Amino acid sequence: MKAVSAGESLRLGIDPDALNKCVQCGLCLPHCPTFRATGDESFSPRGRIALMRAVQNDGAPITRDVERAFETCVQCRGCETNCPSQVPYGELIEPTREALAQRSRWRSRLFETLLGFLARPAWLRAGAGTAVALRRMGLVPRRLGVPENTADSNAPIPATGDDVFLFTGCIMDAWQRDVHDAATRVLSAAGVGVQATGDAAPCCGALHRHAGLSSTSETHAEHVIRALSTDDRPILVDSAGCGAAMKEYGQWLGTEEARAFSARVFDIHEWLSEQLDRLPRVEPLDVKLAVQDPCHLRHVQKVHLATRTALAPFVRELVELDDEGLCCGAGGIYFVLEPELAGTIRERKCGAIERAGADVVVSANPGCSMHLAAAGLEVCHPMQIIDRALAGRTG
Amino acid sequence: MSTNAPRLATDDPVLFAFAEEVGSDGAIAVAGGRTRWSQGGALAEGTRVVEAPRGVVEYKPAEMTVCVRAGTPVAELEAALGEAGQRSALPNRGGTVGGAIAVGENHVDRLGRGAIRDSVLQVRYVSAEGRLVASGGPVVKNVSGFNLPRLLTGSLGTFGLFAELILRTNPRPEVSRWLRGQGVDPAATFDGLLRAAAVLWDGESTWVHLEGHGVDVDEQSRALDRIGQFEPVEEPPPLPPESWSMSPAQAARVDREKTGDFVASIGVGRVWAQKPQPLAAPDPVVRGLCERAKAIFDPTGRLNPGRQP
Amino acid sequence: MGFVESVRVRIAERKVPPADRALLRDLRRALAHDRVRFDAAERALFAHDASFDEGGVSGPICFPVSTAEVQALTRVAIDHGRAIVPRGAGTGLAGGAIPLGAPIVVSLMKMNRILEIDGDNRVAWVEPGVVNLDLSNQLRPLGYHFAPDPSSQQVCTIGGNVANNSGGPHCLAYGVTDAHIAALEVVLPSGEVAVFGEIGPDETGLDLRGAFVGSEGTLGIATKVAVRLTKNPPAVRTLLLAFSAMRDAAQTVSDIVAAGMVPAAMEVMDQKITNAAENFVGAGYPRDAAAILLAEVEGLEGGIAIDARRIEEIGQRNHATSVRRAETEEERALLWKGRKTAFGAVAQIKPDYYLHDTVVPRSSLAAVLEEIYAIAERHDLVVMNVFHAGDGNLHPLLIFDARVPGEIDRVHRAGDEIVRASLAAGGVLSGEHGIGVEKQGFMEELFSADDLEHQNRLRETFDPICRANPGKVMPIGHSCADIQALRSVPTGVWG
Repeated sequence: MKAVSAGESLRLGIDPDALNKCVQCGLCLPHCPTFRATGDESFSPRGRIALMRAVQNDGAPITRDVERAFETCVQCRGCETNCPSQVPYGELIEPTREALAQRSRWRSRLFETLLGFLARPAWLRAGAGTAVALRRMGLVPRRLGVPENTADSNAPIPATGDDVFLFTGCIMDAWQRDVHDAATRVLSAAGVGVQATGDAAPCCGALHRHAGLSSTSETHAEHVIRALSTDDRPILVDSAGCGAAMKEYGQWLGTEEARAFSARVFDIHEWLSEQLDRLPRVEPLDVKLAVQDPCHLRHVQKVHLATRTALAPFVRELVELDDEGLCCGAGGIYFVLEPELAGTIRERKCGAIERAGADVVVSANPGCSMHLAAAGLEVCHPMQIIDRALAGRTG
Repeated sequence: MSTNAPRLATDDPVLFAFAEEVGSDGAIAVAGGRTRWSQGGALAEGTRVVEAPRGVVEYKPAEMTVCVRAGTPVAELEAALGEAGQRSALPNRGGTVGGAIAVGENHVDRLGRGAIRDSVLQVRYVSAEGRLVASGGPVVKNVSGFNLPRLLTGSLGTFGLFAELILRTNPRPEVSRWLRGQGVDPAATFDGLLRAAAVLWDGESTWVHLEGHGVDVDEQSRALDRIGQFEPVEEPPPLPPESWSMSPAQAARVDREKTGDFVASIGVGRVWAQKPQPLAAPDPVVRGLCERAKAIFDPTGRLNPGRQP
Repeated sequence: MGFVESVRVRIAERKVPPADRALLRDLRRALAHDRVRFDAAERALFAHDASFDEGGVSGPICFPVSTAEVQALTRVAIDHGRAIVPRGAGTGLAGGAIPLGAPIVVSLMKMNRILEIDGDNRVAWVEPGVVNLDLSNQLRPLGYHFAPDPSSQQVCTIGGNVANNSGGPHCLAYGVTDAHIAALEVVLPSGEVAVFGEIGPDETGLDLRGAFVGSEGTLGIATKVAVRLTKNPPAVRTLLLAFSAMRDAAQTVSDIVAAGMVPAAMEVMDQKITNAAENFVGAGYPRDAAAILLAEVEGLEGGIAIDARRIEEIGQRNHATSVRRAETEEERALLWKGRKTAFGAVAQIKPDYYLHDTVVPRSSLAAVLEEIYAIAERHDLVVMNVFHAGDGNLHPLLIFDARVPGEIDRVHRAGDEIVRASLAAGGVLSGEHGIGVEKQGFMEELFSADDLEHQNRLRETFDPICRANPGKVMPIGHSCADIQALRSVPTGVWG
């Protein structure tokens, strides 16, 4: 049937078998943050897959609404872990986003340019400083989640040994350096020598991947692999988004080298939860702590329980949120691109945090922390809590 | 084994004879035990009154269903069910099965036995045109087609005259015990129990009907002791003749000035009282629908004329 | 929606036929610009529910947020002579919410507020788009839940439950949705608003509420629902019994009921579906069992201990190969998660499913199941069985690959035989999914012409011109005479 409405057709290049796996049962719907926020079928995994099928199999045109359906996906992949048929949603949305990005040349250039900063640590730190200054002057909207402070120092984190790498990444190194410092101190307390990766491996490429810039993300991956393959020590990551991407390098690049590299990548809590007996026993902090699971820890890496194992000896009480790990709406740079939707999604998360009645919320992902902090919540990284407990200070 | 014959149709000559007796013209009504004969208004003068056929047709204890003709006394049905240790949700006050369902009044143990309308699985009735019509299904769970059994339950025979019904049955509890407490808060009593079969209140005393496993009834009796002083009694209080509907919360604080002596069913909202309930003006949209329904199901108005559900 | 966006929409819709353009304009005046959609691909999305049934393509899709908006859009539909199809989460399994022709589709998903929780009267007033499980989760701290728990409860809505008179595993003891709806506010197909039922003893006047529940959107749109709250039981015991033959599991179920027990739930899964579910949840279901029975008793500790022991004994008398008790709440939750997501797990094996929903007398369960396996084998198909054994409510799941030529025809033929086998055993067409468009053709095999004519009288009372969800439930030729025409709009038309 010939297309008559506006919008051109597009080749998505999704693996047909993967696309055909969805039985349209709808059990993913409640686990989709955009569906929960809007109630729109086209903003649900089932709806998006049906649209992908319409585009790929039947030549449906990419109208504005279809495009919106695809670009509003947070890519939290909560649907994937909750799909009884184990539809590989990530393998469907990534090529779709890539096809969309390539379709609009100015759009992909814009993304390339913006995200290009991520691989330039010095620029990023300068930018972060400027943003913070602007934020303090009230010139940056609060909803963008720009933190009030940047890291205290621009100097590289000094190495304490060579047992593990600590992947420090881009945005986090610029804006949340204190988290890396805390992680380094915690690892040192366990007698683990840490070498921060710093500017040698500046960006994991995850955000590029989400924006559909696959080839750029692969260039970053190759760079990181080269920089950190001098030996085979574990690579610890304290940002859930980066960790998830680095664990998927094997799939991205499809090489033996990349697969071997991915096998060395651990979320820092995942790794630490196996080494807890190496940490000194201390008085737990007198706080009631809620753990907000970053999607890339819970739905992609699937190691979110390790965060609790690692935290348990160091706090009085851990409470669970009652939203079954629904995304907070941060989604990499999603909260900048889709501020309104991200805000609505966050309201639900804030409600869950309030119901849990916690004193402090922790999140193991910089994007989530910034996004939640912008709503006025006090958010820490789990490493900062453990660090504080070890220092004998109270919450 | 497959045939195209409609499965809910019946070949029972007794039912066809009843349909023939009802016929297709002239005002007609069915008499059961006449225990609620004046409910919904007086029957129009000159209405021919017939009786529905009688007898338990098929009882399947393992399916928890019974097929019974409408003219069967409730007592006779209960006796049959009792032989297999089961019972129905119908109130047993001397009337017939068809009459009880046409009136739709719940058993005093509404909380324990469930609503009467929820127990009606299938109805066979004679229409205003004198045709035998079936609706619902013979199994305990069914959503095949529109739910005419709900429309007909409590409709006082104004849409069709019951000939035969299939009802859901339930096991009889191992232990049944009535208790009475003086000066206890009826709402607190209701809230303090997991599942009472009935909680009744007359403004002073609170009656509680506990049913189930012996251990559970004992446990619930102990829970009552924590609420107030309760002692075993033989049976519930006699119920005054008039019937009021209100919300369960209102039933727990009935104003005796308005009702006269009363017995309120706590957690349900039924209040039996000396004085009749003043009739509220029905919602015009709902009244319009009821009138349309009546005009469509009984265009000549021959079924139970004078009565209005 | 901003000005630029609305101009963009107008440009995109410039080829809309004039009749639809006027309809769109009026609907947008009645609601809001961005809550009336007409994008071709989006309309195609609303052409389906969770079943394999095909209809037409949706016309304008409306997302009302209030009773007044539902009323207003109904009046627009009347003015333009268009039909209305209400829709919840789109998890229906009988095509009840699919559009026939190109009607106005009314998504109630944005009417999702819990309006009032009234503990004194044990009711809650909710809007139709509230998700079933969300409601029970919110009620839990107060000590209550909403008893009907369809397997899709994490996504299906209260409005959808009302439309289909939904069941669920725990309806064995508590009754289906109908028993838990006290009152409804409804926008009638005439555009009038009425309240059916009462927060009271539910025995006053004509039970229009009971007639409305389960009417699959053909009598109007429920805009507020008063649901009854059920007290959470203080103690629950969940048992998992494994059997080396389906017959033994079925006999155990019959024997439990015959022994005078009504457990809260009794669910059976056969080996194939057990394995698919186990792959997803890892609940520790025995993979080598031919059938497993999930039985749950709840109430007070003393009584459920007795019942659980008797169920174990009955299972053992019927050669249960193992009996396991859920020791923790997590273990219990996992056992139920596997059961409740089972049907969505089938794409591990084949990408499409056709799920049936017949009810047979409990005593015929074993015989009908054997026949179902034989039917599937005759048609060279895979069938999996997961069902509400306590109610005799079967859910044979035929799985297939629609891309294989001829397979869908075999699925339909096998499905027809399964339905007929159930009817022959004294059963009915549907226990909880409804008739929709899927089982219309069988209505004449269950009901006589007089029976159907009487059902149609109810429809006529509410909706004489078949404005609300036309072409559903009643078989073709019994109402809405023009429904053949409703089917004429082909799918796959982008524009």
